[in-house]
Formats: sequence, structure tokens, C-alpha cells
Amino acid sequence: MNRVLPLFQRWPFAFAFLLALVLLVLNLIVSPSFLSPARLPGTLATLAPFVLVGFASTPSILAGGIDISVGPLATFINCLFVAILIPAGLGNWDLAAPIILAVAAGIGALNGILVAVLRLHPVVATTGMLFLLVGLSLTIAQNPVAAPNNWTEVFAGGIGVVPGALLTIGVAGLIWFALRRTAFVSNLLATGESDVSAYGSGVNIKAIRILAYTLGGLFAGIAGIALTAIVQSSQSSLASTYALLGLAAAVLGGTSLAGGRGGLLGALFGAVSIYLLQQLLTASGVAPSLIQFAYGAVLVVGVVLGATLLAPRLKRNAS
Amino acid sequence: MTGDTLSPAPRTQAPTVRPRPWTTFRAWAFEVPALQVLVVAALAAWLVITIPAVANPRSITSILVITSLLALAAMGQTLVVILGGLDLAAPGYILFGAFMAANVAGKLGVPPVVALLITVLACGGIGALIGWICHRFAVQPLVVTLGTGAAITGATLFLADGDYSSAPPEALRSLASLRGTTLGLPFPPIILIVLLCGAGMWLFLNRTAAGRRFYATGINFRAARLARVRTAAVWTMVFAASGALAGVAGIFIASFGAGWSQTIGEPYLFSGLAAVLVGGSIFGSIRGSYTRTLLGALTLTLLSTIIVSNGLTEAQSRIVFGVIILAVVSLYGRERHVRDRF
Repeated sequence: MNRVLPLFQRWPFAFAFLLALVLLVLNLIVSPSFLSPARLPGTLATLAPFVLVGFASTPSILAGGIDISVGPLATFINCLFVAILIPAGLGNWDLAAPIILAVAAGIGALNGILVAVLRLHPVVATTGMLFLLVGLSLTIAQNPVAAPNNWTEVFAGGIGVVPGALLTIGVAGLIWFALRRTAFVSNLLATGESDVSAYGSGVNIKAIRILAYTLGGLFAGIAGIALTAIVQSSQSSLASTYALLGLAAAVLGGTSLAGGRGGLLGALFGAVSIYLLQQLLTASGVAPSLIQFAYGAVLVVGVVLGATLLAPRLKRNAS
Repeated sequence: MTGDTLSPAPRTQAPTVRPRPWTTFRAWAFEVPALQVLVVAALAAWLVITIPAVANPRSITSILVITSLLALAAMGQTLVVILGGLDLAAPGYILFGAFMAANVAGKLGVPPVVALLITVLACGGIGALIGWICHRFAVQPLVVTLGTGAAITGATLFLADGDYSSAPPEALRSLASLRGTTLGLPFPPIILIVLLCGAGMWLFLNRTAAGRRFYATGINFRAARLARVRTAAVWTMVFAASGALAGVAGIFIASFGAGWSQTIGEPYLFSGLAAVLVGGSIFGSIRGSYTRTLLGALTLTLLSTIIVSNGLTEAQSRIVFGVIILAVVSLYGRERHVRDRF
């Protein structure tokens, strides 16, 4: 035990990783065909929006803020693509993908400007943005509009043997991996840890914060594509479902809401845990209401565990 | 510096620095919700001028009842926001309150007073637990309330066992229905209840030591602790109050709608938060108060009445809500620059 605890404290995502592993084994026991090649692409495609919304929540939390508008942003992108871009003849991937990602990153950047330049409280700024995005989605497509055949179907199925969902998650992961090679992520973590110290050390915290929210917006845009891939229609009503799910995934994955600690890997394992928990309980025939109860309980227990047992201890004074 | 007291004062006639009128006015305008009163008056005037038909007792009553429900649902959220947190469990509490009103008091025939007591105790107890956990383990209330909210929702739906067709008993419905009367006067009691709550909350926040301790904890947690405020008790009590009040709001919301559904609480989470923010209460701020939330709820209800009666949809009123939150908060909810926080 004495050797295990420091491991948890060193790697914030270790708890979510173990949880995901245990749930995966339980899932395989309950339904052995869970990971069969025939079911894998579909499973991963259902999982992808969860994971990507979790990714989208992470950069702003790492910067010491919070963005509760990423879920509605993903559904807004879904409505924008299905109900506006496709009817307008902009549905091809070489036109639609850049437009979608630019719009999503732009909305994220707007959040960043509200938080960093106008200095609004992050919860307030993103709540305002949440209202805007939900309203816009409902205005664009009040009722679900079915999408004609389009390029997003690739991400629900597979390209050859590669499941398409690995592409959407992989692109976001690659962007983060590339950014880790730059000073951006270190500065991001420094800003989240203590913005005063970071500012005093010459970090341009305004730019860092705006970039963090922009990155969150970009990931939410990719989440919107992954969402469109599985639902193949405009689903403005999903906004409230996804609004807080990403936050839950990120925090379960060990990302501290105080900022400066965590990463994308945590959000991945957090989202996978939530998804596997739902799968497991559904497969064992538990009522949906109890699944929600279990999800809430796991979230609370995970957060409390992460804050107490698994958190890095403050070093005692030498005295 | 201290040595200077012996030497003759360099300035023989100390000019009494009189604050400029604009400065005093601005301080006053931030101190009291003057802007909110102005906005409510302007919106009410606009509504009456564009749609004269609205100025009959029935329409006014319905606007006030909807405002009261929103204000009641936002009451606990106001307290939590002043403390510097956010209570995302509100939809769970509201759902539980609605369940108690419809299924327990309505179908099972439990006396409404008992149902009310159970709601207050259950939601208050869960809230107290949340507050204690957040304080004890120094975790953000955001995620704990989010998880607890999901758990309460799940448990309530499990208890309801698929029965969403029951309605609250007549005794409860008369409290919130539009045709209700209060002491012979033609308006439902809910309006009076919310007004009394507002007055009580004002007295508590401004005229009692407990209210002052509560503000102190919200503004600066460490300073309050060093001033021997028992912050654990404050956090526990505030989250308990938030839970109990949201549960009671759920009872009234179900009584007003004469029924309930699985998603009855969800609109009130973000609308309630919007009422708090538009009223001008900011996270951990001395300027927060329940009076502001009442004005905020009235602003939002008037605004959505105007928007819907002008032929726009509910969706467009969401957009306007979003813009208004951002506008109000950027007017006077801005945080300090980093260089001023060294």
C-alpha cells in the first residue's frame, strides 16, 4: 500500500485508469462479445463524443477556469452541419470540416476573451455562452432533421480495419501531443497552478487563457463531428445531456478543478469509465434510473478519493 | 512617517476632499440594485405599451406566479453563489420535491405537511452532507453537487417506478394555481410566500450576526476562519438550506403544473442561475442578496413574455438571456487584474 499510493499521487489519471480496467474486465465477464471485431467500431463510435467532450473541458480547467459550454457547443456544431451546411451545399468534407472547426475554435476563443480580457468569472461567461448556443441550436433546428449520406459516416464505421472513431479521438490526441512539445502546455499548467506567479514570471497569461479556451472549442468541434457520425441527424435536445458530462469525465480522470494538474489522458479514462459503467449496468439489466444513481455516486466517490487519499501531500515544514 | 507628527503640519488647511458626485452616484448604484429596478420598470412599461391587453389582473397574476416559482427555485442558488460555489444538484432536489407532492402526497394520500417535512429533511440532509464534504475535503462543490444531483435524480425516478401521471392534492394545488386566493384577495398564496421569504432573507442577511458571518465566509474564507467564524458550520448550513429550499420549490412547481415529469427540474437549473446573475449577485461578493434575485427573476419573466408575445420563439429568448447575462456581468461583475492581486 505504501508503494501504491505515491503512484496514484504521481499520476492523476491512475485512479480512472484502474477503474476503467476493472469495469472493462467486468464488462467482458457479463457480455464476452463486448470487444469482438464486429462490435468494436460501433462501441468506439458511441464512446467518441463522450471522450471528446471530456477533452474539450480539460484545457480550460487546467488553466484554472472552467468551460461549461463545450457540450452545447458540440450539439450546436452538429445542428450547424446537418441543418445549415448540408442544405447550403457545403456538406463536402473539404468545405465543411474547416468551417466547422473554425466556428468551434472561434466560439471557444470568444469564451477565452470574455474570461481573460473582459475578466468575467469563467462560470458566468460560459453560462451566458451556454444560453446563446442552446438558443442558436434550437433556432437552427427545433426538431431533429435527418442528414443525407455524408462523409461523417466514416467515423461511425471504419476505414478498412481501423475503427473511424479512433481517427476523431486520435486527431485531438495528436494536437495535444504536439502541443506538449511546446512551451504552451507548461505555461498552461503554470497559469492554472497560480496565475499570479505565472504572471510574475513573465507568462502572457491572457494569451494562454484565450488559447486554452480556443483549444477546448476546437475539441468540442471535433466532438460535434463525432456526434453527427453516430446520430446522423440534428439533435438540439442533446445539449443538456452533454453539458456537464465532459466536466464529469475530466474531473473523474484526476484533473483538478483548482487548475494546474491533470491532462487529456485523465479525461480519456474518465469518459471510458463512465461509458463502461453504463454499459455494464445496462448489460446486467439494471433499471436506467439506478444507472444514473450509480453514475452520480461514482462521481462523488471519485472526486472525494482524488482530493484526499490520492492527492499529492503538501510537504511538511522541516521544523 | 511617524516622526512627522512632531513637525508642523505641512498643509495648514487640510482640504476636505469631497467625493465627486459621479463617484458617489456610481458607488451607490453598485451598492443597491438600482439598475435592476430601472430595467424591470422599463420592461414592464414596454410590455404594457406594446401589448395593452396584458394589463389585466389575470395576466399580471400569471407573470407574478411564474416569477415566484423561478425566484423560489433560485433562492438556495443565491446563497450558494454568495458563498462562492455553485449548486448543480438543484434539478435533483426539484424533482424529488415534485415526486413528494405528486406521488406521495397526491397518490398515497400522505398529508401535505408531512410530505413537506420529509422533503425539507431529505433534501436538507443531503445538502448538509454535500456542504460538509466540500468543506472537509476541500473539493469544489461543482462536481460534488453534479454527482449528487444525478444520484438524487436516479433514486427519485427509481422510487417513482415509472408513474408520472399522479397530480398533487387539491390543498397543494390551491397554493400555486392561478385561481387561488390569499386571505380573500384574488392572488395565489405563492406570491405572498415568496415575498415573505424575500423579506425574511433580507432581515437574515443584513440584520443578524449569522448573516454577516455568512457574507464574511463568502468573501474571504481564510480571513473568516481567522476571525473565528466556524466556516464548516456555514458551509454545511448553506448547502442544507439550498437543498431544502430547492425541494420546497419542487413541491410548488409540481403544484403549479398540476403534475410532473422526469425533466421537471432541468429548466430551473440554468434559469435559476441566470436569475441570480442578472440580479447582480456574483460569486463570493458582498453585493449579492436575495432581493437582487427577485428582481432578476422578474426581469427574466417579463423579458420572455415580451419575446414570446412578439412572435419570437422560446429558443430566441434563450439567446437574449445569454446576451443579457454577459452584459450585466461585464457591467459590474468583473474580476481584478492579476497585477492587482500580488
